[in-house]
Amino acid sequence: MLERIRNTYPIVMHGVSMSIASTAPLDFDYLRALKSLASRFQPAWISDHLCWTGVHGVNLHDLLPVPYTLEALDHVVDRIRRVQDFLGRRLAIENVSSYVTFAESEMDEWTFIRELAERADCWLLLDVNNVFGSSFNHSFDQASFIGAVPADRVVQLHLAGHSEAGTHKIDTHDQPICEEVWSLYHEVCPRFGSISTMIERDDNFPPFDELMAELDRARAVAACARIPAQGAAA
Amino acid sequence: MKLAELQMRFQAGIVEDDNAILASIADSRRTDRATLFEVYHDAYRLRLAEFLSNDFPVLRVHIGEEAFGRLVEDYIESAPSRQPNARWYGTRLPDFMQETAPWRRNRSAIDLARFERALSDAFDAPDAPISTIDALREICDEDWPRLAFEFHPSVRILDLENGTAQIYAALAEEEEAPATQQGEEAFIFWRTDGQSFYRPVADDERMAMMEARRGKIFGDICALLVFQRNDTGVTQRVAGFLSQWFADGLVTRLSLSD
Ligand SMILES: [Fe+2]
Repeated sequence: MLERIRNTYPIVMHGVSMSIASTAPLDFDYLRALKSLASRFQPAWISDHLCWTGVHGVNLHDLLPVPYTLEALDHVVDRIRRVQDFLGRRLAIENVSSYVTFAESEMDEWTFIRELAERADCWLLLDVNNVFGSSFNHSFDQASFIGAVPADRVVQLHLAGHSEAGTHKIDTHDQPICEEVWSLYHEVCPRFGSISTMIERDDNFPPFDELMAELDRARAVAACARIPAQGAAA
Repeated sequence: MKLAELQMRFQAGIVEDDNAILASIADSRRTDRATLFEVYHDAYRLRLAEFLSNDFPVLRVHIGEEAFGRLVEDYIESAPSRQPNARWYGTRLPDFMQETAPWRRNRSAIDLARFERALSDAFDAPDAPISTIDALREICDEDWPRLAFEFHPSVRILDLENGTAQIYAALAEEEEAPATQQGEEAFIFWRTDGQSFYRPVADDERMAMMEARRGKIFGDICALLVFQRNDTGVTQRVAGFLSQWFADGLVTRLSLSD
């Protein structure tokens, strides 16, 4: 089935299990399987999250946050480099939604991500809903985040819905994209030019028409963001 | 604090309710650190419960929402997940039930769990090319006793309490489930064309298949059954099983042993 799809469309591989920020050893069984799948399907890129999923053999099935420390930065940069060497290709690393701020953190999330991208020489995947959710949860300014992301490294944008817990927003991928995220998408699109956007929906599926309507809206926003850029180039 | 230590504490906060991690977390403008950390603590349990509900939907109906909730809780607290793939998390559930009070007293629930696990295991087993009955036709008569078989990786044989499959079929169709009865019956499970199947097997077919899976050749299997059943129609009957195995797509390879 995947082969049939691949014959007609480009594909990308998006994972949740690399645990790139974990202090547990890299899982080379997983990486070998990933590499062989990638050589079969030739994805445009492989992405995973800036997170860890467990230590000491345990898997918590979640995208757990890292403290933004120099130690963590060195650690993650080293791991991304090793994985990229092994896979023989660059990774795209995605920002996650987080609910806690570590007292240990020494820099902002966006500084951490910018440093990481430069030093590991990797691509980035910018999840717009995660910027929105985390900026609410940690009371930071979305514009600072977006402005700090090196635009030439971003290969894809994510859009998704989340759940409201009143004092915080949880990244559940089971709701329609909210208006605030649409407007942030509107703002960020011109900055990143014509790159791909993916809508993430994992649960509580609406009728297909509603999903298509979200896709059409994303296409319209992206198309309208491209017009001034093309005008300037011409 | 070192990253490794912080991750260990974070994990202990989720798995063991150890709150040492809270010292490393700041309150947000809107709420306190304990409430925020709880998002991770609760999400872990909700996810694992969801994996189990997805893998054992009929068991859930059979023992009821409340008992299933307790079972899930007991299972989650018994050991953390060590599986990167959610699909394998519940694979120990039937064994856990067999080993743990009060579940170990509930044979029909245990067997229903084993039944559902066999269906999912068959579904997720690796691929292998199927051998067709033509391969059998090419074997000349004098070679038959030396025939050895390899089975598709999805094939499973289970001995289940009488009536387990009927309970499964009824509950899966949202009908009233019959009660199980004393005694056991054997079932095989396998996958063909991306779908899991099961069917009952009689004692002699069960034995023939168990022996064939162990690498016994056709001649030895027949001899064993003749000895057991003191019956001369055995070769015919085993040949009948064979053609059914091919029809079901259970055999991947025929070979002649020396
Ligand atoms: Fe995402």
